[in-house]
Amino acid sequence: MKGIPRKLESVLQKARQRIFGEAVDLKTVFGDFKAVLESNNRALEVITDMGEKLGGEYIFDIIYIKKAYEELYADIRNSVEQFNSLSHSRYPIGNTLDRIDAAIKKALYEEAPAFAGRILFFGDITWEAAREVGGKNYHLSQMANSLDVNVPSGFAVTAHAYDEFMRHNGLDAKIEALNSVGYGDDDLKGIREAISDGELPEPLGAELDGAIEKLRAALGPDAFISVRSSAEEEDSEFSFAGQFATVLNVPLQSDAVRDAYKKVIASLFTSAAVSYQKRLGYAVGGMRMPVGCVPMIDAVASGVAYTVDPATGKERLSISASWGLGESVVAGKVDPDTYVFEKMPALKLAEAKVGRKESMISSSKAGGTEESATPEDMRARACLSDGQVAELAERALKIEKYFRRPQDIEWALSADGNLYILQARPLRAASSGERGKTRSVEEFSGQYRALVHNKGNVVQKGIAGGKVFVVKTVDDIEKLPKGAVLVAKNDSPQFVRAMPFVSAIVTDTGSTTSHMASICREFKVPSVVNTREATRALRDGQDVTLYVDDDGNYAIYDGLVDEILELIERTGRSLEELYEFRKKKYIMRFISPLNLVNPLADEFTPEKCNTMHDILRFMHEKSVQGLIDASMKAAGKGALKRLEIAIPTGINVIDIGDGLSDSSGSTVKLEQVQSEPMRAVLNGMLRPGAWHSEAVDLNPRDFLSSMMRMQDLTASVDQSTYRNVAVISREYLNMTLRFGYHFNLLDCYCSEKAANNHVYFRFVGGATDISKRSRRIRLIAEILKEFGFISSTKGDLLIARLSHIEKAEALRVLDMSGSLIAFTRQLDAVLGTDSDVERFKQAFLAGNFGIHS
Amino acid sequence: MSARIMIIDDEKIVGDMAKISLEDEGYAVETFLSAAPALERLKEEKFDVVVTDLKMKGIDGLEVLKVVKEQYPDTKVIMITAFANLDVAIEAIRGEVFDFFPKPIKIKEMKESIKRALEG
Repeated sequence: MKGIPRKLESVLQKARQRIFGEAVDLKTVFGDFKAVLESNNRALEVITDMGEKLGGEYIFDIIYIKKAYEELYADIRNSVEQFNSLSHSRYPIGNTLDRIDAAIKKALYEEAPAFAGRILFFGDITWEAAREVGGKNYHLSQMANSLDVNVPSGFAVTAHAYDEFMRHNGLDAKIEALNSVGYGDDDLKGIREAISDGELPEPLGAELDGAIEKLRAALGPDAFISVRSSAEEEDSEFSFAGQFATVLNVPLQSDAVRDAYKKVIASLFTSAAVSYQKRLGYAVGGMRMPVGCVPMIDAVASGVAYTVDPATGKERLSISASWGLGESVVAGKVDPDTYVFEKMPALKLAEAKVGRKESMISSSKAGGTEESATPEDMRARACLSDGQVAELAERALKIEKYFRRPQDIEWALSADGNLYILQARPLRAASSGERGKTRSVEEFSGQYRALVHNKGNVVQKGIAGGKVFVVKTVDDIEKLPKGAVLVAKNDSPQFVRAMPFVSAIVTDTGSTTSHMASICREFKVPSVVNTREATRALRDGQDVTLYVDDDGNYAIYDGLVDEILELIERTGRSLEELYEFRKKKYIMRFISPLNLVNPLADEFTPEKCNTMHDILRFMHEKSVQGLIDASMKAAGKGALKRLEIAIPTGINVIDIGDGLSDSSGSTVKLEQVQSEPMRAVLNGMLRPGAWHSEAVDLNPRDFLSSMMRMQDLTASVDQSTYRNVAVISREYLNMTLRFGYHFNLLDCYCSEKAANNHVYFRFVGGATDISKRSRRIRLIAEILKEFGFISSTKGDLLIARLSHIEKAEALRVLDMSGSLIAFTRQLDAVLGTDSDVERFKQAFLAGNFGIHS
Repeated sequence: MSARIMIIDDEKIVGDMAKISLEDEGYAVETFLSAAPALERLKEEKFDVVVTDLKMKGIDGLEVLKVVKEQYPDTKVIMITAFANLDVAIEAIRGEVFDFFPKPIKIKEMKESIKRALEG
């Protein structure tokens, strides 16, 4: 059919089928299948390249992004056309592509947002509205809509509504004036007052009243809500913790809610908040403020949960609890109950401590909140029962898995004994093993005089040296000299103004779960809180050196200790703080994250695709499905044959030409496999120790159950029903393998002519721990490099290719690839540090697969 | 005294990213969105390296190169461009830039190049 355009070809094929009946030409289907895969692969390579170039190691410009996206769009468009041909246009994937393309073009060419909504209830918030409702609201709505973790559901007042309010009250002009001539604290106060005196424009007011009515109908007339900020950046690395106002216990009445709304948006213009925004590259008024209104939980107890240890990045989940509302915990005002769990291999309580919990914040009947001393008998009592702690830990883990990153979670326990999740946001934590071996505090403590040693809690590790500056009132912050070590009795989110100047922060009280702690971690300012004695032990003006090591031990030494200060790695501003960088990188959000993970789940539809990667995955899966269906039609049920070998790979084989020596029967044994590439891969997988490090147990049922048990950590579906598929011919292999969240694709053409040959390897590994994911990818990439692969990696996607290779070489590489695929299944639990990567690489290359030796 | 680096590129993000990365190495970095003010600045202060975009409105990279070579022979020039193609590369070599980078620029490579430029 040469010389006839593809589209025409497929039309003719369909016509042929209709005329001649269902005779499906498997070779044609396979040709279409390969065409889809090829365009998919090209598209994925562009995605990987974009991810790499926008990842922080390259300086890029908008020209690159536009060019790369044009290429990506062309490849995917091509793929969609071929996919439609293969699937007879059964899926509206073209619409999905248009939808996502529109979102990307909007971001790229910065058209004014067409979004006109003012109020959105959580149930109605879709992915595209994320920016308009702000990170906090979006996160909450995702949890409320998709996860079973008990989130109170409310509504968002959008960024568009905020714009309308500001315009209606003449504030946009006022702010623009400030930006051109400069501003002081008084000017900011003026803006805040203007907001407070301002009025909601009528359309917004009416819609807000309508939403209030709806909530009253649902919750009852005496219910209260909390009105919280949900600013644009609040779902990114930067939490703005404690910077913006939250108004609690607001009655469901029009005036009260309007006042609370104005209070929250006014908080965009406090000195501290403006400082933070400036650091991230926003001019005053540059950030817009969506707001969330959420039913108030009458909390008996509340607190915070972190799914990793923020100071060290280690895989430990911590929960802190105190009586009353959570504000006392996040403001760092109390010494809470704390619980620490080990996460691997399963959730297990490691430490439990009842805190002093001296004070508590409760709802006051008239609205608002009040602070009081905790009754004596309650102080020594734990706020949560063991069962409740365990339940909370399970939910926190579930949330982490859903968002696939460490989480900072706020929770509450209501009077009727129900646990609610109030908020969840990305937790900025140090990554463990980030810098390689550093020295421990103990090494230095012998030589230098420690003024404070291991008292209290470490919030952020690091090294700092400078003059002590004791801060007693908020005004003192203005006078902070550059490089000072800020020492204070209490911690405060106001300290954010000091971040550009301060080298370290040490306080007497406070907790690791406070807002100030979050900010110190975000800006990587070494800090220690709850020391109880810092203001006593350290003198104003004294030179000191603070050293917090990787294990969380610390000391504050008298004087400036050169030996320690030399260890400081220069951390100037990071690229992440650059507004332009983040803004440009934002388009990757529509491109690379993979949301569609489970092809058997209900959510595996074109409508649920949020990114280009999702579209590619969808088409790939459906293409494989199409091929399987065609094979089954072409040769009856016998076309899909289960591979029976000594290891439970779950592979089903489709032979498209001479791949098997004997095509009868519904199962295939190793000896029947004629496909040279397939044989090579299987040989590699069957190598002793590659699949299982223990001695091979001959009971097949044991294999299957142990394989399923290992995947139980992440699987929510019966793994044995998922079909791993190998499409083979004598010279060709296309194998897709899925184990838990590891997804392997191996595609190989292995003929006598080197110029036609290729080996293409794709690996996506996706358990929740980011550092382990990238170590696993690195290990695979390094091993593949030894075999001559050219590879690109981005996050947990690795693509590697080897072309123009002699057949013998290709087969050798396939053998190794088989062993590698088998081997990496075992690495889930063991890649704890960077040095493990090197160790396992050497072991693998030496043919030593034993991971327990 | 730390080395002085000048960055000229009409896209803000390029200068900003370069500034952050190079300040990390301890250099003093100044960025300009166009060549005219940059050349004015060169009259006031000596810069060790000038990193300039090739294609810019008004005075372009090749002209910057010419001026620097004639008036500030001790200052090295590194050319960067989004439109790397063979002709431009030959032109640049003939024009004797110290180094040449197509965009996107790998930060590590740029740092190494600047390090070499400062040593030479």
